[in-house]
Amino acid sequence: MNENPPTDAAGQQINCPNCGEDAEPGDLFCEGCGQDLPDGITPAAAVGNRRPGGMAHPNASSPTRPMDMNALSPTCRNCAGTTFLDGYCENCGTPAVKVRDHWQERPATWVAGMSDRGIRHHRNEDGLALSARPEPGSRAILVVCDGVSSSADSDIASLAAARAARDVLERPRPDVPSVAGRISAWNERLAMAGAEANKQAIEAGRDPSGRAGERQDSPPSCTFAAAVFDSGVIVVGWVGDSRIYWIPDSGEPEQMSRDDSWATEQILAGVPREEAENGPRAHAITRWLGPDSPDSVPTRDSRVPDRPGWLLVCSDGLWNYASPARDLAEVVRALADEVQGDPGLLAGRLIDWANSRGGQDNITVALARIAPIPPQRGPAAEAALQPTQPMPEGWNLYPDADYGSPET
Amino acid sequence: MPSFSAEVFQNEFISEGSSDVHAIVSVTCTGAGEAGRGGGGDAAEIIIVDTSGSMLDAKIVAARQAAAVAVDQILDGTWFAIISGTHVATRAFPYPNARVSMVQMEPGARAAAKEAISRLEADGGTAMGSWLKLAGQLFDTVPQATQRHAILLTDGQNQSEQPHQFQNAIDSVTGRFQCDCRGVGADWDVAELRRVSTALLGTVDLIADPASMAADFEQLMQKAMGRGVAEATLRVWAPQGSQLLWVRQVSPNVEDLTSRRVEVNPLTSAFPTGAWGDESRDYHVAVRVPPQAVGQERLAARVQLLVGQETVSQGLVKAKWSGDDALTTRIDPAVAHYTGQAELATAIQEGLAAKAAGDAETATTKLGRAVALAAETGNDEATSKLRKVVDIDDPATGTVRLKRSVDKLDEMALDTASTKTTRVNKR
Repeated sequence: MNENPPTDAAGQQINCPNCGEDAEPGDLFCEGCGQDLPDGITPAAAVGNRRPGGMAHPNASSPTRPMDMNALSPTCRNCAGTTFLDGYCENCGTPAVKVRDHWQERPATWVAGMSDRGIRHHRNEDGLALSARPEPGSRAILVVCDGVSSSADSDIASLAAARAARDVLERPRPDVPSVAGRISAWNERLAMAGAEANKQAIEAGRDPSGRAGERQDSPPSCTFAAAVFDSGVIVVGWVGDSRIYWIPDSGEPEQMSRDDSWATEQILAGVPREEAENGPRAHAITRWLGPDSPDSVPTRDSRVPDRPGWLLVCSDGLWNYASPARDLAEVVRALADEVQGDPGLLAGRLIDWANSRGGQDNITVALARIAPIPPQRGPAAEAALQPTQPMPEGWNLYPDADYGSPET
Repeated sequence: MPSFSAEVFQNEFISEGSSDVHAIVSVTCTGAGEAGRGGGGDAAEIIIVDTSGSMLDAKIVAARQAAAVAVDQILDGTWFAIISGTHVATRAFPYPNARVSMVQMEPGARAAAKEAISRLEADGGTAMGSWLKLAGQLFDTVPQATQRHAILLTDGQNQSEQPHQFQNAIDSVTGRFQCDCRGVGADWDVAELRRVSTALLGTVDLIADPASMAADFEQLMQKAMGRGVAEATLRVWAPQGSQLLWVRQVSPNVEDLTSRRVEVNPLTSAFPTGAWGDESRDYHVAVRVPPQAVGQERLAARVQLLVGQETVSQGLVKAKWSGDDALTTRIDPAVAHYTGQAELATAIQEGLAAKAAGDAETATTKLGRAVALAAETGNDEATSKLRKVVDIDDPATGTVRLKRSVDKLDEMALDTASTKTTRVNKR
């Protein structure tokens, strides 16, 4: 018996994405056509019906981790319809796509993410992995990896990397009461997660998928962007140009990550952002994960937010259409209002928004709704700026692991 | 067992910002079997013969012969009746004093029916609406007959009824049986009979010479008996936000089905197509879909043929938005051909109507356009019939002159043949 039956929180049945046959809780195969049932996909009804009027009541314990990425997605990526015939949505006619090309994760009511192929690309090479505790504002882990499309199998690398990082970050660890201690502990854990993600990206290159006609001359590689929210602190780490934003409900939003990219180097050198980001090499990244990575240790940073807001991790498929934090915040805030602050619906709306702007790249969005803000011991701002504290007991799962050199 | 197949001919690629998708869906039926013998219910046939005063002499003799030949073609076991039509409708067989309204064909019934046919005499007016209503009543007495077909023969205009009475009668029997209409001689009105045949999913044609009536009836009845599939429905799904512009049968003849639409659900429409034999019919489906970005694909229509509740074949019409002009500017040959054929039918009908109304200028323009379209689409039958009505100076440009004197029968032949299309070489 499967522990995560293919039903939503309300016990609602889901249907086979291939033939539409009803699936019973625990079914591994479709009774109708024999197709593997996509165990762990949260059906649209559970993650939030994106059509007007339907608010979902997701259950944090419902399965949220897609297992069979090659199955057809049970949810239309255009209209969120759930009935398919002949491989097309029975409502809007959009072709059904593989889970790998369009899926949603929702580990808790307050944490959700969605990854979508976009319009111009024929494959989704973004990776997404999430984890969260049920209680809002407790602990959330958001990881996004963007496969570099000029290299082979980077779709495999990006998903393996994101999941590996998520798995490292969600491993049990003792509570650390102090803000500074928590930040320091997560800094270390993020380095460990980056190392594990890099290892998986390299693995993907060692075991090529054997896709015919695929470029094998350049090894798989991907970006890395991870954000942890843990009892009042945000700790982030990144390699490449996937981004992490902190968007408070009021006040100044902030891009917490600084792209490892040619464009950012230009901006730091004084070139105006718009010019740099539209330059011929704007999308060239200077650091990545993978076999030929020049430096795979995530750059890290942290914040202690003082008001409710959205923690957002995304691939460039989203931020290309609103790069400055203020611009993106404007979009996020407006869409969040439309969906009454539901992170699952908001992720879908942001994907729709990017697609409506052209969908030139794969789009991945991970969101944690940070509210309310838990009280902190001591002055929060000061604590966040504390230098790294000694590691508490129980944090180093792999004492001999090589994380690379710390930032200087 | 009947078997159906569907093929779709279209250019899936449309340019950025475009929204109209055109496709020809070709449906073919094989193994249809014989009417009433497929196990889905009995077949019923009614022959309606105009016995008004104008049918005197050669016409009534030819009509008797034609009806008798038709009776010979009706398969044993088929429910049938003969109606004699004047300003009133009379059941000629079974005789009016019979206790049943229809009987099943067998050798004895065939002989008795021919005897009744030989007694038909020409006398009285013409009220076709009443004939159709009586046919409907007779069919109603045999609910076990699921496949119902009639042949209506007339030689004149519907003078004994008001137009609204005629229309009401047509409306009241629409969907209850199919009817093929034949007009003999030059005194009947093509448009009038076309109203009946269009509503009742049949054909309309001219029998110029009474002598050829028997052969025509024989063929008509053979065809009816060869329709082993009693009723099929064309069902068209189009996505949310789209508009089904039209569904038009384009082969073997042009028939706009759009007005026959029955809503199945907000996205799905059904169109009755009547009975099927071993044949192919082509449908032109046009859908307006919301434009999408380049690279996007949508299913623009799913076209299905249903027998009962069962889908027996289907074709998918797709839209793929592309930035490649080489892909998007190509017009599918089948779509182009049938678009031209449909326009040809309209040009002929409008041209003849203008000519009848004394508007020579419009008639010349429309018939000229028809000549050009007939040449373009290789419809030689239309070209030869047009030649009898206009002198053609240049077929390519459609430069024509109206003939000074035209045989009325030639005009009627052109009119009735206007909707017949030539098939396109689709590959």
